[in-house]
Amino acid sequence: MKQCLKTFNVPVLHLAASFVLLGLMLPSGPVLAAEKMPAQALFEVAARPQAPDFLLEDMDGKKHRLSDSHGKVVLVNFWATWCPPCRREMPSIERLSHALKGTDFEIFAVNVAENLDTVFSFTGTLDPVPTFPIVFDTDSSVLKAWPVMGLPTTFVLDRQGRIVYRVVGGREFDDPAIQAQIRGLIDQH
Amino acid sequence: MSLIYTNFNYLPNTICAFVLGCAVMSAVAAETKHEVNAESGIQTWELHDQGVGFTLMQITPDQARGFFMARGFDREAVDYYASHCVFMTIVRNESVAESISYNLADWRFYRENYKPGKLKLKDDWLNEWRQLKVAEPALIAFEWSQHPTAQTFEVGDWNQGMTTYAMPLGSIFNLKFLWKVNGVMHEAMLKDIQCASATSGR
Repeated sequence: MKQCLKTFNVPVLHLAASFVLLGLMLPSGPVLAAEKMPAQALFEVAARPQAPDFLLEDMDGKKHRLSDSHGKVVLVNFWATWCPPCRREMPSIERLSHALKGTDFEIFAVNVAENLDTVFSFTGTLDPVPTFPIVFDTDSSVLKAWPVMGLPTTFVLDRQGRIVYRVVGGREFDDPAIQAQIRGLIDQH
Repeated sequence: MSLIYTNFNYLPNTICAFVLGCAVMSAVAAETKHEVNAESGIQTWELHDQGVGFTLMQITPDQARGFFMARGFDREAVDYYASHCVFMTIVRNESVAESISYNLADWRFYRENYKPGKLKLKDDWLNEWRQLKVAEPALIAFEWSQHPTAQTFEVGDWNQGMTTYAMPLGSIFNLKFLWKVNGVMHEAMLKDIQCASATSGR
């Protein structure tokens, strides 16, 4: 560095050129994001482990067994009303549901350890209101059986019930890049 | 670019300028940003370094009490929690290609005239709550509201949760974050952070 400082008598143009070069090199390593929005893409889980099954009740008391959805692509979102990114991403999950209506695609939003009144009060404030099943993991036993470290965490399962994609933290699930990944999975027969 | 590099005699100097440019960019990137909410007075510190973003936002004792009393904790327990320094903590993988991992047990805080300290982790709290016979639903809410102790993030992943520090309210400290990229440990320092005081946000 001392040598550099000693020989640092180059024209300003060359300093500028170095920053251009720096700009060209940035994509090859870890760099700062231009904005806070996370990358709108789902991370592919190479091993494709089988998702743990669950049997949980929804807001109407109807029971849902995950394995009954084999044959469809399924999005499983773990969330709670007190988790700000969970609250923010919920409308985008409904928009995704709407965008993929009529396809072999299903959504379960697994609420962690809250009661019906709390969740009902929250969903009533959303626009659009969720139409997919919100199921209750009252003792967090399902959450602990899945590879979840923090909320929200979302998984996309293939038709065989294997975990293909995972994202940690909030996303805009109706983003075209995410939709394309899910449609790609739906198109695999 | 072709005009710039026509004379190769300038190339060593250009490389030096590039290295200095990198150093300047790095120094700028690692600067702690500090904001104060005009209405609430709640303070936030933010740092972006080497593809990772960190944010600490004060959680006032009143906020902590309100949150946990609404989830089944009794007054004595929430007063005890609220006597600690609590921050909403956000960690983001802002890199374009690398996964990162971290463990809060590796992080250290530094207060003037005190030895470096460790964060009070989720399991430390859960052990205390179990001894105090806190109800299971309240424990579940507590567990998932705290920042995950260990986490691995792919590109774009992030988490938000509470972290706690056993020091008096209003204390000022620096916090050293550590994280791994491809098995190599990296670190950054968030400077001059202040715990909320007993009356913050009122």
